[in-house]
Amino acid sequence: MTADKRLRGDSPWQLAWRRLRKNVGAIIGMSIIAVMILMAVFAPLITPFEPTTSILEYAVKPAGFRGSILKKINPSNPETPTLIAVDSWHVDNDTVRWTDPVGTPYREHVSAMFGSGPGDWHDEPLFIMGTDRQGRDIYTRLVYGLRVSLSVGLISESIALMIGIMLGALAGFYRGWVDDVVMWGVNVVWAFPSILLVIAFSVMLGQGFWQTFIAIGVSSWVDIARIVRGQFFSIREQDYIEATRAFGFGSIRVVLRHMLPNAMGPIIVLGTAGFATAIIAEASLSFIGLGVQPPMPSWGQMIREGVGYVALGTNWEMTAFPCLAMALAVFAVNLFGDGLRDVFDPKTTQRS
Amino acid sequence: MLSYIIRKLMYSLLVLVGVIVMTFFIRPPGDPARVMLGQRADSASVAALRTKMGLDRPLPVQIGSYAWNLVTRLDMGRSIATDASVAETIAERFPATALLAGTSMAIATVVGIVLGLIASWKPNTWIDTTAMALSLTGISIPSFVVGLLFVILFGVTLEWFPNSGYVDRGAAYLVLPMITLAIRPMSVIARVTRSSLLDVLGQDYIRTARAKGLATTTVYLRHALRNALNPVVTTVSAWFAGLLAGTYFIEFVFNWPGIGLAAFNAIEKLDYPMIQGTVLFTAVVFVIVNIASDILYAFIDPKVRLQ
Repeated sequence: MTADKRLRGDSPWQLAWRRLRKNVGAIIGMSIIAVMILMAVFAPLITPFEPTTSILEYAVKPAGFRGSILKKINPSNPETPTLIAVDSWHVDNDTVRWTDPVGTPYREHVSAMFGSGPGDWHDEPLFIMGTDRQGRDIYTRLVYGLRVSLSVGLISESIALMIGIMLGALAGFYRGWVDDVVMWGVNVVWAFPSILLVIAFSVMLGQGFWQTFIAIGVSSWVDIARIVRGQFFSIREQDYIEATRAFGFGSIRVVLRHMLPNAMGPIIVLGTAGFATAIIAEASLSFIGLGVQPPMPSWGQMIREGVGYVALGTNWEMTAFPCLAMALAVFAVNLFGDGLRDVFDPKTTQRS
Repeated sequence: MLSYIIRKLMYSLLVLVGVIVMTFFIRPPGDPARVMLGQRADSASVAALRTKMGLDRPLPVQIGSYAWNLVTRLDMGRSIATDASVAETIAERFPATALLAGTSMAIATVVGIVLGLIASWKPNTWIDTTAMALSLTGISIPSFVVGLLFVILFGVTLEWFPNSGYVDRGAAYLVLPMITLAIRPMSVIARVTRSSLLDVLGQDYIRTARAKGLATTTVYLRHALRNALNPVVTTVSAWFAGLLAGTYFIEFVFNWPGIGLAAFNAIEKLDYPMIQGTVLFTAVVFVIVNIASDILYAFIDPKVRLQ
């Protein structure tokens, strides 16, 4: 049984997985990414508010602030109540009386309150990371910002991979003038530092969710095209490609079935690195005011909103938490990517 | 040799043509004249401005005249927001950016190589792991985030260094922006140095040098490092333009009056002639640095010429 298995050998992917499993850094990176994906998917379950819920009375509160709010029925939307910050409150027969943080007294009939009893309509939420200028919970916005960051990484990098693999394969397979033209394009695009390219495309396409994804995607294919081209140059010389030609296989079949799978290692490594770069690019864009637009929360925007307070020397948490979240996310992806590089690097390849 | 240099120069010109054409297209979607005058402007004045800006001409003519003005008169147009000449603004602000980028690159190169040396000294020990984890952190954090964390830590909390302003108020103003800008290239250089050194250390001639009984330090510095530096030089030159791009954010965070700050402000206002000018400037610097390092290589390494 064991002998059989040894004879058959492992597929390159099984080998890669076995080596990856032994890489502590890669495992740590992978675990952090997994937790982040879960947080992004289940964001509504683990956050006390909606990302756009703002309680203006609680603007710019420090980390660990505990509020006291009453929930009133919102006539235009029965699902989400209107939130009122209160200083003190009590129920007096059928009337709820409260004073707001400035000391102004209010009253309302219980039927106007959200839910069926004081347990439903009163809450003392904890703002673990404080609030921003519009009295929105920073922690909540951080978790929802994770959604933007992860989707940017995924979608933009997919676009970049598509363009890069296609152009690199064209150049590497056909060579000659096709290669010259593609490489000219590569060199032109390469002359722009990547973040400036992202900014340039973002200016051209306009601002918004999808525009941002596309701007980052069409800016990041150059490295991939170069590596695929290089891989194809060497793979093309191999005997098994010669063999496919002897069989009379068509070009597309040779490229897709026989060449691309053998170039996959470096592509995966670059793709992972690109995932991290895309997250940074999106944050940089929204920091500068391009990119994903409010009210959709994005880490770059949140950091930007806090900058003024940093200069004043107050409320550092408004900037520090999104900064740290982003550093952690990118670090995790890079840690994983580094592990992948060790796995796929032919120089270190050995049967393990 | 000469034919190699000429070939390289011609190719760079071809790349520059592409760069200029691409830069031309950096403008917000829609009609720039309409954007400048606002939504309430009447169509007659919009049409007049279109004629004045040459927007009514066919696209190839517009690109041609943009390139012509650029090449013959270094004319990059005027800022929409301030009406200042883009080329003059860049020239005025260049010294500040050059100071910041130059000192950062110097620090990044020296510290990066030293870190790489230390890491490769005893690979896969805790020293190596620590140095590489540090550099991975450096790569992972965008420069403006590092800058803000530095401001919070060293500027506001510890009050070691001033956190905003230019060196005309004292050399201490250079410290934080310089270190912030240096961190990313430093991390990359450290990693490249390490892997390149490990590569070289496995070569036969190093074994020979060791077998001759040379001191480890001599082997390292005289034999290994010199040969390992080639990829490092490439990295340094490739990073220079990236560094200029980094100043866009760093100069904003530290209120440093260079090209980057002008670009940052222009991007916020979608002031596209200014964006075009600054982006073009960075790209041209990149192409020039690249061709210079290519030619330098051809002199140092005869293998390059023959390729």
